[in-house]
Amino acid sequence: MSVVVVGYVPNPRGRAALEHAVLEAHRRDALLVVVNSSRGDALVDEEFLRGDQLRALHDELSASGLRTEVRQPVRGRDVAEELSAVCTETGAELLVIGLKKRSAVGKLLMGSAAQRILLDVDCPVLGVKSSPREA
Amino acid sequence: MNEAEESVASETPAAQRPRGFSGELVGAVLLAALGVYLLVDAGAIAIPGSSNTVGPRFFPYAVGGLSVATGALLALRVLRGDRGPADDGEDVDPDAPTDWRAVAVISVAFVAHALLINVVGWPLAVALMFAAVATTLQGRLTPQAAVRPFLVGLTVGCVVWIIFVKALDVALPGGIVLEFLTSWF
Amino acid sequence: MAISDLLGGFADAITPVNLLFALLGVLLGTAVGVLPGIGPAMTVALLLPATYVLEPTSALIMFAGIYYGGMYGGSTTSILLNTPGESASIMTALEGNKMAKAGRGSAALATAAIGSFVAGTIATLLLALVAPTLVEVAINVTTADYFALAVLAFVAVASVLGSSPLRGLAALCLGLYLGLVGTDVLSGQERFTLGIPQLSDGIDVVVVAVALFAVGEALYVASRLRKGSVQVIDHKGSWMTREDLRRSWKPWLRGTAFGFPFGVMPAGGAEIPTFLSYATEKKLTKHPEEFGHGAIEGVAGPEAANNASAAGVLVPLLTLGIPTSATAAIILAAFQGYGIQPGPTLLTTEGPLVWALIASLFIGNAMLLVLNLPLVGLWVKLLRIPRPYLYAGILTFASLGSFAVNADPLDLVILLALGLLGFAMRRFGWPVAPAVIGLILGPIAETNLRRALAISDGDLSVLVDSWFSRVVLGLALLALVGPVVLRAVRGRRPTPAEVQREQEEDREVQRAAGTGDWGASS
Repeated sequence: MSVVVVGYVPNPRGRAALEHAVLEAHRRDALLVVVNSSRGDALVDEEFLRGDQLRALHDELSASGLRTEVRQPVRGRDVAEELSAVCTETGAELLVIGLKKRSAVGKLLMGSAAQRILLDVDCPVLGVKSSPREA
Repeated sequence: MNEAEESVASETPAAQRPRGFSGELVGAVLLAALGVYLLVDAGAIAIPGSSNTVGPRFFPYAVGGLSVATGALLALRVLRGDRGPADDGEDVDPDAPTDWRAVAVISVAFVAHALLINVVGWPLAVALMFAAVATTLQGRLTPQAAVRPFLVGLTVGCVVWIIFVKALDVALPGGIVLEFLTSWF
Repeated sequence: MAISDLLGGFADAITPVNLLFALLGVLLGTAVGVLPGIGPAMTVALLLPATYVLEPTSALIMFAGIYYGGMYGGSTTSILLNTPGESASIMTALEGNKMAKAGRGSAALATAAIGSFVAGTIATLLLALVAPTLVEVAINVTTADYFALAVLAFVAVASVLGSSPLRGLAALCLGLYLGLVGTDVLSGQERFTLGIPQLSDGIDVVVVAVALFAVGEALYVASRLRKGSVQVIDHKGSWMTREDLRRSWKPWLRGTAFGFPFGVMPAGGAEIPTFLSYATEKKLTKHPEEFGHGAIEGVAGPEAANNASAAGVLVPLLTLGIPTSATAAIILAAFQGYGIQPGPTLLTTEGPLVWALIASLFIGNAMLLVLNLPLVGLWVKLLRIPRPYLYAGILTFASLGSFAVNADPLDLVILLALGLLGFAMRRFGWPVAPAVIGLILGPIAETNLRRALAISDGDLSVLVDSWFSRVVLGLALLALVGPVVLRAVRGRRPTPAEVQREQEEDREVQRAAGTGDWGASS
């Protein structure tokens, strides 16, 4: 069975990635693995799902009718490493990630996570900026 | 720090760890040793001739005696299996094994930065220390992983230096480069 | 007259520049106090150097802001995250978090903030009223009485703080030893300096405080670094309703009544009054069914008690020069840093300064009420600082503060050595506060003892000559023997620490059920 992996964070770009991933998983009749990781190195990580947000995600996934799996690794590794580890482990056929619009200065200051993912991951990567309904 | 009396200590999670040798025994013995040192060395404190009452030796003798007694009693307690509950905190994982490497790296980095301050200036010395500490706590000690902590540390160091030295007139060596760059202030 | 003195204090404090320093102190204090792992004592110790360069009045005004700001910051964190950073916040977090889970987190924050303001204001007013009276008593205090007071503070701090009296005593001994190092004030003899010239001036209190609190904590956390994050409660939505206010105002006042006296007592601390306040509110409430599920009284009372005790601590500090908590000891060190000798005459000799300090406590308190609630979002952002950077930053500021004192690298080596001592103490469960108090109060006790004995020509009976010293020494004996006897006679009642443990067990259960607070890996 083929596998589609998606990196999810609770914000518009994460939502866009998830919606695209659901479409792709339907198209390929694949298992959808949702990865919401945290480095776990700060006392507060608002991108890490828990409580109501987590429940809402589970509800949404079961409503999609797909076979799904949610993984929330906290191992002190950054999102690029976690996603590439999950892709390797599941033998994923596609990885979906959300992209941030960045200014020139932003690109200069921060190493882009998306760029690291593209370089690290072996499978094809689908980068999305907005939800499929807007496209 | 605020655990209840020692009768409770045996029920705390801290006490569930293996009951082997406790470092606290060393602490208690060292405290008693400190007391002995105080008692012995207090005798060497010179007493000005005119003094007919309690002189500079009295209080050291008292503290020394108290230390010996406390250290000895505590050592006995520890030998009988009493363990103090380790301190708790928001960022402390009470079940984690002690990461001695982190303690060692931080200690060495801190001493190195102390010695470097007068050579390369406070901002750079502190940036190196910052980088070493943050990289260690991140859990990987590769040169690439140290780049960002170093830049963050250098920024913090320079900003703090400028605030404290230029605005508040605190004496803090800035290093040749920074002092030259800011000499027009 | 207290009122006119206080008004004079306000006149000193309400200049644009001093208001700016008060604001700066409040913001810095809250920001640092909010950060995880940094308690009020460490906040004050780390920010002490920032006040060095100012003239004493401005510095102390800024310090007042830092002191109250640090307190506020701590409780904000404990409600937002349900991680009671300090023991005094355990009770607040207990009901506060339940309220948050029920969608009333904003109301919990509001009642805590307003309760802190009410309690802080009333308690500061009490401080202003009590201080002159106490000073009149204190003026007649002899050196022997003062020695007795110091002994009481030693005993109380050592036996009350910490896991066991013996461990408290061990910490006290370390502090007393550190206080001995240097040149004896009365005879000019060097003691325990090991021939190192820099030590002849003694070990700087700031260095010891920063080492034990900041460096020791950083090393300890580094040795057992926690991975994972906690949930921030939803602090959006409506603040207090009229119903909330109606249910909160009595607990605020009762909490103040518990907190202030305990703060005044040597080593009374904030832990016991918050616990008592919680128990009282639970008994008196008309909504007993809500306790354990988010009762607003359970947040309002303990939080008020916490802040009232913070003001109470200043009573013995400002009237007698006796610190009863670690934070107070560091404030005393700040006074010494400005060349102000603390003691029973402090209010007389430095009257205007002390009144300006008290006035700025009022001002800082009001600023906190206005600033704190709207800035909650900002404080939460501070909590996102990764731990590696946070603790590296703490060490950076520890270095700054200790190096700025004498510009001597040796101080930093001493800082690390004492930091390792603080690290060991945390591992062994030895409380840190008695060491700091021993260091500050030890030399004061010694000087007074020797002066008393010099006056009496070595006759030891001078120590129990006055009623005052007899009562105080009696209390000290009681504090030393009391806990042991009490435990033997009537068993134990649950302590706040145990209540917290129950809560921890709750968390264990949650974790087992897969909804853990710490986001354990899957």
